[in-house]
Amino acid sequence: MQNVDPSLPPRLQEIIDLFQNLPEEEKRELLIAYSDRSDECSPKEGETFTLSDIRKDQECTDSVGVFLKADSENRLLFRMSLGSHVQTLTRAMASILCQGLAGSTAEEVMAVPSGFVPKIVGTELVRQRSQTVYYILARMKGACRQFVAEQRRTDLASQAL
Amino acid sequence: MKTYSHPESLVETAWLADHLQDPGIRIVESNEDVLLYDTGHIPGAVHIDWRADLNDPWIRDYIAPDQFAALCRKNGISETTTCIFYGDKSNWWACYALWAFRLYGHTRVKILNGGRDKWIREGRPMVREKSSYPEAPYPVPTTRHDKEIRAFYDEVLAFLPTGGPLIDVRSPGEFTGELLHMPEYPQEGALRGGHIPGAKSMPWKTAVREDGTFKSADELAHIYEQGCGLSTDREAIVYCRIGERSSHTWFVLTYLLGHKKVRNYDGSWTEWGNRVGAPIERP
Repeated sequence: MQNVDPSLPPRLQEIIDLFQNLPEEEKRELLIAYSDRSDECSPKEGETFTLSDIRKDQECTDSVGVFLKADSENRLLFRMSLGSHVQTLTRAMASILCQGLAGSTAEEVMAVPSGFVPKIVGTELVRQRSQTVYYILARMKGACRQFVAEQRRTDLASQAL
Repeated sequence: MKTYSHPESLVETAWLADHLQDPGIRIVESNEDVLLYDTGHIPGAVHIDWRADLNDPWIRDYIAPDQFAALCRKNGISETTTCIFYGDKSNWWACYALWAFRLYGHTRVKILNGGRDKWIREGRPMVREKSSYPEAPYPVPTTRHDKEIRAFYDEVLAFLPTGGPLIDVRSPGEFTGELLHMPEYPQEGALRGGHIPGAKSMPWKTAVREDGTFKSADELAHIYEQGCGLSTDREAIVYCRIGERSSHTWFVLTYLLGHKKVRNYDGSWTEWGNRVGAPIERP
């Protein structure tokens, strides 16, 4: 029986379900499979975005770009660019979250609790690399905050006209 | 022209490629990226994780000597095996693992110059299949060599009045106290920013070239001897945040420059910056 968290987008919940009952070794293998597919979430040629945030944090392994596109109902599509030295866990999380959060609104993404991460990554890896595993989610939430703030500014400006 | 004091402590990628099958060596990968080994590694390499394998899970210390012996046996490492360490991040964790092996008295240790990145850049083979070896005999070490190569808080505190060289190898932002930890990451650092009083800033990266290989002996002597006042027989202590970057500098000073009295303060800033009563300094 799976634990369903109503605050999690259904696509993300599906991925969590896939991971959560696996032994640690198989979790690692699945994480590597997601990491191998992280190129699939890179921005495609010709794509345009509502917001992009590309940064290399000091002492972080490499640059990470978060690209966000909203449709007419403000449902989001995420893309991520990952520098060649970005860590495997970060790549896997980018791949998982791009899939799992696709179609969510910014508010839904910002409300995602980080407690699901150990279910995917496993307690051993969380203990070992506690700072790495939450990085991508934090960056995606940050992009959503910027997006919402930008929308509010636009709404206020149009009301003032 | 100066040469490395212990040139035998480094192996080049081309040499290793020709010696992958040597029975007397064991290639050991140690990374910051905990899954990196699983994505591909040098054929025959075993994985030793700095935290899961070398650190005690309950006490902030290294594993007990019997656990070290078991780790070696499991990886087919005997007392006479030469361990060649390599890894990501210009060999930070490889140097850390090498330093930990030295704590238990394993002296047949080398570093792959340029580490994992250089091996890959040169298009050399990588495999995903995990390496396994028949268990090797490894007696439980009777001594841990903490006194020679490791410094503890009280020893660092007592070292301060001597004015002996204390080298902070963290990034300039961490040294000045602007950064406590890596930006955007959850807190895992220290309560206060700054450095140990009297410490000189010399980031670890100063010792390597763009390709991750070590600078020449002349360049290293200029950096550490002329630049930081270190010398062969003078006591020195190096530190960073948790002891991994300073292991890299410890390797440079001990093996490449032949300094005999260098100790790594592995408690580093995560201990000093959080310790009640510990004095700190900011520019």
